Amino acid sequence: MTTPERLRSIVARDLKPTRPLRAPSVRALIIGPLAMATVIAVPVASFFRSDMAQLGVWRGWGLSFVEALAGVVVVGLALRESVPGRALTPRSLALCFAGGLALPFVILAMTTTSFSIGPAQFDWRDSVVCFRTSFAAAIPTMLLATLLVARALPLRPGVAGALYGLGCGLVADAGLRLYCEFSVPSHFLSAHAGAVVAALGVGAVAGVFTQRT
Amino acid sequence: MQEDRNAIEPEELELCRLMAGYLEGRLDAFERLYAALAPRLRSYLLAQCRDPSLADDLVQDTFFQLHRSRRTYQPGRAVTPWAFAIARHAFLMYLRRTRRRLRFEETLAAELSSRDAPQDDLKGLADRDEVRRALVHLPADQREALLMHHVGGWSFAEIAARLGIRVNAAKTRAFRGMRKLKGQFRA
Repeated sequence: MTTPERLRSIVARDLKPTRPLRAPSVRALIIGPLAMATVIAVPVASFFRSDMAQLGVWRGWGLSFVEALAGVVVVGLALRESVPGRALTPRSLALCFAGGLALPFVILAMTTTSFSIGPAQFDWRDSVVCFRTSFAAAIPTMLLATLLVARALPLRPGVAGALYGLGCGLVADAGLRLYCEFSVPSHFLSAHAGAVVAALGVGAVAGVFTQRT
Repeated sequence: MQEDRNAIEPEELELCRLMAGYLEGRLDAFERLYAALAPRLRSYLLAQCRDPSLADDLVQDTFFQLHRSRRTYQPGRAVTPWAFAIARHAFLMYLRRTRRRLRFEETLAAELSSRDAPQDDLKGLADRDEVRRALVHLPADQREALLMHHVGGWSFAEIAARLGIRVNAAKTRAFRGMRKLKGQFRA
């Protein structure tokens, strides 16, 4: 089977040595420093949670870095998803989303002394502050992740976007948990978990809108 | 990575070598890659669409996509799954374009029938003529992009390449053309 003339001429016209993209795991490392900076910046730019001293280094900084690392891994999976032929299986995707969304709850359960820390009555203003802080913190990593994914060829851009959105949401939540100790479910669900879910949604939309046509 | 290499069959190794040559900018490597992959991709696409001429077009689409995205190939990995994923994508994009074209035709039909229900075939002919006349009133660049996308089923990237404009410009032209066309029927 010979190459059709039209295809041949188009390929010949812009054929030049091309450096392949690095492996998704390597490209995900680019996100690493920004993720770590996000974790540190959120409490430093505002204030640390009041029980930071009682938490200790491991349950404070340690678990935040674990959560941020998990976020970077999820972004790495989004980068893998955006390489043709390396799409994640439905099972892996389900595990990834379930695990990613469960992680903030698991970390909260590991660190809180009770699930009643915070306002007794739901105050949406507290939730808005935390949601806004978390969401704003997710933006830099999300921009970088969008760029990295768009440079490849995501065949399911919505899925790739949702994955990196989730990853960036986790990174931001890792910083937020050093800033807000509220564990009351209404606050945690609406602000902390809510911001992660919102980042996931925004990532999905961004993935679709930045796909190459 | 070493395990991946060991897992690759000799035929696939040859494809990997060709792909490496193609990435180095060698046209002969691309041509040999095409010769090796095109028949298999065509069989796959034919099984999907059951139309030989469409399968040929989709093979070309696949190779255009493959060429644009060649840097997403990871050296040392099997070429076939990568190429087949792109072929599947090309087929899905074709389905999407077709659906969009059908929607466009339905929208136009709805616009026409919402004004005056055609009484007979003569009226239908008049409506079609009306569409043609409405299209004539569009700026040439918008009409061209609109017809290429909604009627011809071209992607915006293909339109952009063909007209020598940016993809966003192609989208804008088609969108504005469609808006004006709808506006003419609503007037």
